Amino acid sequence: MDTTQQGLLEREKDTMTLNMGPQHPSTHGVFRVILEMDGEIIVSAEPDIGYLHTGIEKNAEHKRYSHIIPMTDRLDYLNPPGNNLAFCLTVEKLMDIEIPPRADYLRVIMVELSRIGSHLLWLATHALDIGAMTVFLYCWREREKILDLNEIVSGVRMMTSYIRIGGVALDSTPEWIKGIHEFIDEFPSKVDEYEKLLTHNPIWLDRTQGIAIISREDAINYSMSGPVLRASGVDFDFRKKRPYTRYEDFKFDVPVKTNGDIYDRYLVRIEEMRQSREIVKQAVNNLPDGPWKVEDNKVSLPPRDTLHTSMEALIHHFKLVSEGVSVPAGETYVPTEGARGEMGFYIVSDGSNIPLRMKLRAPSFMVIPGMCMMMEGLFIADAVALIGSVDIVMGEVDR
Amino acid sequence: MTGEEIIEKVKSSLGEGIQAAGVVLGDAVIHVAPESLPGTAKFLREDPDLCFDYLSQITGVDYLEQDREPRFEVVYELHSMDHNHTIRIRVGLPEDGPSVPTVSDIWKGALYPEMELFDMFGFDIPGHPNLKRLIMPDDWEGHPLRKDYPLMTEDVAFSFNKDYKSELVKTKPETR
Repeated sequence: MDTTQQGLLEREKDTMTLNMGPQHPSTHGVFRVILEMDGEIIVSAEPDIGYLHTGIEKNAEHKRYSHIIPMTDRLDYLNPPGNNLAFCLTVEKLMDIEIPPRADYLRVIMVELSRIGSHLLWLATHALDIGAMTVFLYCWREREKILDLNEIVSGVRMMTSYIRIGGVALDSTPEWIKGIHEFIDEFPSKVDEYEKLLTHNPIWLDRTQGIAIISREDAINYSMSGPVLRASGVDFDFRKKRPYTRYEDFKFDVPVKTNGDIYDRYLVRIEEMRQSREIVKQAVNNLPDGPWKVEDNKVSLPPRDTLHTSMEALIHHFKLVSEGVSVPAGETYVPTEGARGEMGFYIVSDGSNIPLRMKLRAPSFMVIPGMCMMMEGLFIADAVALIGSVDIVMGEVDR
Repeated sequence: MTGEEIIEKVKSSLGEGIQAAGVVLGDAVIHVAPESLPGTAKFLREDPDLCFDYLSQITGVDYLEQDREPRFEVVYELHSMDHNHTIRIRVGLPEDGPSVPTVSDIWKGALYPEMELFDMFGFDIPGHPNLKRLIMPDDWEGHPLRKDYPLMTEDVAFSFNKDYKSELVKTKPETR
């Protein structure tokens, strides 16, 4: 048998293997998936992750609690305040600290603005994947404003580390509040703009409606969370079901859709942006006075000017900077509603100032098996739309 | 159901399958042996009052420095979508041949976290359909999240030392 015949025989094995990623622009980071193709249709999808593994969980076992906060920024790098909040809530639960209302409200503002920013980036790249370039530029414009607001209050545009154990890093400034008012006043009209471009656009509907459907039961069984779960008809949001950070003070709706396709995930996220804006509006208008971090100087640094006059303040400052907070022995897990779904840290403490174990429950990590299950039977072009619609961030997948 | 009610219900139904149970910082926690995990998980999933249909996460913990028996622990965090309550299952695993049966036939969401346990802690997961390295490369040696795996070493294979393998010995990390 010569080589031509051999080639023909091999070709009879109907499927071919296609390698997608890890540097494919539509995989949103370094995600590789090996596709078994029958013509244009995906027979099976085998994910390959770990390209962005940085050992954050291992590193955290050698770092003080306050030093871990900047590392959490780099997990889900599109929603850093959400990660800070999940981490700090877990540590605070172990330490049994009561957070002052102003700090909680500042946290809520920060987290919800960041959720809007994350969804804007999702919409921008998702639309770009499907071929809508204009939306990409518009969303980037609004996200830029949120990053500017971050810079005003925390000094950093993206990796803010603004939420700290016991409160927040700095008090709000009038300039920031003014900027937020300007943002929330103009934002609804901007969302309308995106919706005008996409929601009734026949090309968008063709590419998204009825594609990559996941049922309610499958979505729960595959541990999906956040917008993907809510697009499949599960009314579940940790902000409502197990409120943290005084979310019970705010009036907002949890958007739920029932079809579980790409279009419904899009609608859920669009509505979430509007609801987040409502929460920010209420929080800014009702921002309580008072301290913006706990006044216990064993947890948060004493005010700078007291260091020159008070011996105790100096001691506390020295102890906190050189030793950090010590967390009572125990373990706990606090789930929060991140931009992509259930985001939580499982922390085991041995009573020292370094965690014994820190585990991140990353929504993007848990969504991957279900995503690959959904890919089976899709056209390859729809797989690109699907990856965009579940909104994975490889930083928290590989950790 | 509150944590106490869940504990009460689980204790009365499963009896000696539960090694210990209690409410820790507001969360219901039960300790079970690895061999009784599948039965416990199936009960928690299917009992209509409990109905833990959502697996939140699976974690491994290494208690090497605590001199604790057993050395390892696997922690399952479960949630019920309908009843909005949670439970944590803690499964102790011995140092020699740590092995815990899969729950991926009950919750599909367990597929990846269990692969991660195999990869990062070296636990055997009998019954798992596709057990292999997930995050580390296939030819990686050692299990990075074990406490005896040093933080700061990396084998760099150049042509002159490509056969060199460092020993990942069991020592306590020096920098704490």
